[in-house]
Amino acid sequence: MSAVVFYIATIVNYFFIYNILAWGLNIQFGYAGILDFTYITFMATGAYIAGVTSLGRQQPGTGVVYILGWHLPFPIPILLGGLAAAALGLVIGLVAINRLRSDYLAIVTLSVGIILYSLVGNFTNLFDGFNGLVGVPEPLNGQVHLGVNTYTVFYIAVAGFFMAILWVVAHRLLRSPLGRTMRAIREDVDVAEAFGKNTFRIRLWAMVIGSFFAGIGGALLIGFIGAFSPDGWSTQETFIIWAILLIGGRGNLWGSVLGSFLVIALLSEATRYLPSIPNNAFLEPALRNIVIGAGLIVVLRFRPRGILPERKATFAEVRAPAPPRESARLEPGHAD
Amino acid sequence: MPTDAPILEIDNLSRRFGGLQAVDDCSFSIQEGMLAALIGPNGAGKTTLVNLVAGALSPNSGHVRFGGLDITGWSPHRIAARGLVRTFQISREWAQLTVLENLLVAAPDQRGEGIWNAIVRPSVGRAQDRELVAQALDSLDAFGLYAMRNEYAATLSGGQKRLLELARAVMARPRLLLLDEPMAGVNPALTDQLAGHIEQLRRGGITFLLVEHNLEFVEKSCDHVVVMALGRTLATGVMGDLRRNPEVIGAYLGGESVASAAG
Repeated sequence: MSAVVFYIATIVNYFFIYNILAWGLNIQFGYAGILDFTYITFMATGAYIAGVTSLGRQQPGTGVVYILGWHLPFPIPILLGGLAAAALGLVIGLVAINRLRSDYLAIVTLSVGIILYSLVGNFTNLFDGFNGLVGVPEPLNGQVHLGVNTYTVFYIAVAGFFMAILWVVAHRLLRSPLGRTMRAIREDVDVAEAFGKNTFRIRLWAMVIGSFFAGIGGALLIGFIGAFSPDGWSTQETFIIWAILLIGGRGNLWGSVLGSFLVIALLSEATRYLPSIPNNAFLEPALRNIVIGAGLIVVLRFRPRGILPERKATFAEVRAPAPPRESARLEPGHAD
Repeated sequence: MPTDAPILEIDNLSRRFGGLQAVDDCSFSIQEGMLAALIGPNGAGKTTLVNLVAGALSPNSGHVRFGGLDITGWSPHRIAARGLVRTFQISREWAQLTVLENLLVAAPDQRGEGIWNAIVRPSVGRAQDRELVAQALDSLDAFGLYAMRNEYAATLSGGQKRLLELARAVMARPRLLLLDEPMAGVNPALTDQLAGHIEQLRRGGITFLLVEHNLEFVEKSCDHVVVMALGRTLATGVMGDLRRNPEVIGAYLGGESVASAAG
C-alpha cells in the first residue's frame, strides 16, 4: 500500500474522530449554551481510560506499572473511555452548572482542566505522568493482524462505526423536544426555568452526553495513535475544537463536519507543506495555530454564526381547517 | 367567577437587598378566577414581589401559598410546573427559536424531553409534537402571529413580541398567570387587543395577576386591585374606590398620576 493511501487514510481517521469531538462540543455549547473551556479534558479521560483498560498491567522491559491494566477486548475499553468521560462531565457539571452563569462556568471549567492537567502530569502513578501511555494495543488488530498501512485503512471502519452511531444520537437529540428545550435554555435560561423546565438537569444532560462524545473520540484517538501523553491535551487543544465548532456553525451537525474538515484536513495539514525553517522546532505547531486562528477570525467577520449556521426547525403542519390566506398556495399546479 | 378559595396568598412577605427593604411585610390574596392588578409607583417593590412569588428570588421571611400549597422557596421550574406561570417586564423571547418553537417549548409535560425518549424512542416526542403543533398554530392564529410562525422570534416587532409572550404563557396551560407590565411600551390599539385576549383567557378559566401602570385599563378590566408602596400593601379594592383613597393618592406623588388618568 502506497504512502499516499496511508497519508490520506490517516487524515480520514483524524477527520472522523474530530467529527465526534466537534459534535460533543456542539451538544454542550451549540445546543445547550454551556461554555465548556476544558472540553479536551473529557477527550483525554476517554483516551486514558481506554488506554489503561486495554493495556496489560506490567509493561515489559520498562518497569512501568499502569493502574487498572485490565487488558480488555474491543470495544469495551472504548465504551469505558466514553463512560469515564461522561462521569467526569457529571461531576464537573454538578459543581459548575448549578449556580454559575455562563462566563463563570467558562472560568471554572478552564481552571478544572488546568488542575487535572497538572495532576495527571505530575502524579506519575496514574498514567505515567508526562511520559504518558505507550504501546496501547490497536483495537481489533489482535483479530485481523494487519500491517501498519493496511490497519490505518481498516481503522477508518472502526472510527466510522462509532461516528455513525454518534451521528444518530446527536441528530435525534437535536431534533427532539429535549434538544429544542436545550436551545431555549441557551437563549434564555431564566425564561426556560419560568416555563417549568428543570434547566439544571437538562444542562447537566448536555454536559454528560457531550463529555461521552469527547470520551469516545479520545478512546478512538489513543487506539489509533497507540500512545497518549499530556502534550496531546494541553489547554490550547480545547480551542482547536472550539474553532471547528465556530467555523462550521454551532447548532448544526453538518457544520461541525465541515469545520473539522477545514481545520483538521486543510488548515492544519497545510502548514506541514511549508518549507522547514531550521533551528526553530516550535514554529510549525505555532503556525498551525496562527492559521486556524486566522481562519476563525475570517469566518466570524463574514459569517458570525458559522459557515453552516443552525437551521430553522420546521414542522409538518396538521391543522384541521386550512386558514383561508394559505389556500392559494395549496392550489394544484402552483409551483413550489 | 370568583370563588371563596384564594388561589394565591401572600403572607407577610419580606425581601431586603442590602440596605433596601424592597418588599416589607407585604400581604394580600387573590381569588380564583380574578383579573387582578398590582399597581403602585415606581420602586414600590412590584417586580420584586413577582420574583418572590415565581421563585426567582427567595424571601427573607413570610410565605407564598398557591392553590393552598406552601411554595415559599421553591425553584421557579417547580412553581411553574404547578401552574403558576410568569412573564417578564421586558419581552424575553427565545430569540434564535422560531415563533412556533417558542410556543412548543412552553408546553408542559413533554415526554420527548426525557433523555430516553429523545434518543431511543424519537417517535414518542414526534407524536406529542403533532398535537402541540396543531394547538400552537391555532393559538398563533388567534394572536395574529400565524404568518410569522416560521420566523425567528428575534425578528418580531416590539408589539408582536408582547403578543408572543402572552401566547407562549398560555401554551403552558397555567392556572395563574403573573404578567409583569404586559402593556409596557405598547400602542393603544395593541393595548386593546391584549386586553381582549386577557379577558377571553380569564373567561376560559385562567386567573390573572398583572403588574400594570396603565390605570385606564386597570379600571376598565380588573375586578381587584392591590396597591403597593414602599414594599407594603397600601390598599386593596376596586380602582374606582382606590382613586378616592387619600393614602393611594399620596403614594402617587400628590395624586397627579391617579387623578389625571381618571380625568
